[in-house]
Amino acid sequence: VALRDVAMGMVGWGVECILFNEEYMTCTWGSGQTLTANYSLYYWYENRSPVAECKQYLWERGVRTGCRFEQSEIIQFQPFHVRVNASQDGRILEIPSNRMELQNLVKPEAPVNLTIRNMSSNQLQLTWSSPYPKAHCLEHVVKYKSNKDTSWMKQEVKGDIFSFPSVDYEKFYTFYVRSKINNYCGSTQLWSEWSVPVFWGSNTTSKGMAEEQLQWFWIHTVLIPIASCLLLLVLVVLLVRMERVWVIIMPRIPNPNKNFDDLFITHNGDFQEWVGVPKDVVESFKPNYSESICHVSELPYEPLQDSIHPPGVPGPQEHGPYKNSYVGA
Amino acid sequence: MSHAFFRSIFRVLPLLLVLSPVNSSSCTMGNKTTEIRVKYENILSHDIEELVNISAEYRDRCCKNKRHEHNKVFFCNDTQEIESLQSMACNMLKFFNKQKINKEFRRKAALVSCGTLQVLQCKCGRHKKEKVCMQVNAPNNEDTETVEQLKKKCNQEFCELKENISSLRSCWNKFEKIISR
Repeated sequence: VALRDVAMGMVGWGVECILFNEEYMTCTWGSGQTLTANYSLYYWYENRSPVAECKQYLWERGVRTGCRFEQSEIIQFQPFHVRVNASQDGRILEIPSNRMELQNLVKPEAPVNLTIRNMSSNQLQLTWSSPYPKAHCLEHVVKYKSNKDTSWMKQEVKGDIFSFPSVDYEKFYTFYVRSKINNYCGSTQLWSEWSVPVFWGSNTTSKGMAEEQLQWFWIHTVLIPIASCLLLLVLVVLLVRMERVWVIIMPRIPNPNKNFDDLFITHNGDFQEWVGVPKDVVESFKPNYSESICHVSELPYEPLQDSIHPPGVPGPQEHGPYKNSYVGA
Repeated sequence: MSHAFFRSIFRVLPLLLVLSPVNSSSCTMGNKTTEIRVKYENILSHDIEELVNISAEYRDRCCKNKRHEHNKVFFCNDTQEIESLQSMACNMLKFFNKQKINKEFRRKAALVSCGTLQVLQCKCGRHKKEKVCMQVNAPNNEDTETVEQLKKKCNQEFCELKENISSLRSCWNKFEKIISR
């Protein structure tokens, strides 16, 4: 295994130092799962002290993973340097760290003694204390929600008092607080852990709400889905079994075939004949239609012997504007 | 007998001069820590934070090899925090006329220096530096450079100013922590 790979097992190729509440400090460079070599830590303060080796190593699975510094070994506002030596098979690799300002690596302890007081006009006041010795150097965040809320609300607080303006007496509230060194005393992003929560609201309400929530849980997640499935099953069975119902839901598509039996059977598909179009109309639509002249003539009129018409009165065939014959089309 | 008396006096006087404190502070706020804290927290800390943020936008790589580790100006001495702040603020004023550094950055740095001197009621050794504070408060009507233009400039004076700013901020943090007890 290359020594470089061994060194790469260190977290992010660096050393992470944290001052816990300014009481002690740990500088760690990895975990026992990734580290395999023998590590040594050396440290010094700029222009102040000689290089010294860590007096109290942190171990994990038989491997040195960090160093613990007691309060007497910690000097803030003095540039701090660390060097970790990784050695394996007789070879040594030095891994220097960046210059550190320890006052910017302080992680205070979580606030304690959270207390809620009822103030006038539906107002709550939350107070707490901090194990960190310099309370004036802290800023805080309060996290809270009621039993009816789905998400947490967060509020930044400079001092150690938080006022909740309008509280609902029918709700059950939960509050958490955490702290950080403010910008007046340092430059850090290390928040403390969240405090132990404090609650406000009647205890019976909370128990009743818990039971009610349990009931709703069983109803929503068990009873309603089962009932829905059963109902669906019944409906499907009814649909399949009862043709009357099936026909209403899925009516048969009408088949117009019978109406056209006469066309195909009697008239051999001749649509015009089936409809009853006159033959001459059919013929007239043919492109080569020609109409023959049909001569129509009247037979000469032979009147009866003087018994029917008096003499001198012409018969119908002698008068009229028409000729004795006409051309019929 | 009389010349022996005068001889002893002449020895004592120079001795008094030698033993008198060399670095007597010219800051007059002294023990008014509450007043200092109020002015620092409400006004000066915001200017310092803004200056630090602007300083952080510059590429840090160009200043890594130019660290002035042995410059005593950047030390915040124990029990002498006010004097250290005075020294840092007065030193920072000299950058106001350095043309190689961005003008707005210089102006803000001078603003913080003058603010520090004002809060602590300090004076610098050379009175010329206080004249800078008169110019700093005048409005800047010239166009400011863009952030991209700011990022390109990197020289030794700039690196020294960055370090001065960082030391000043740390020293204020230290002082605030001490007076917060």
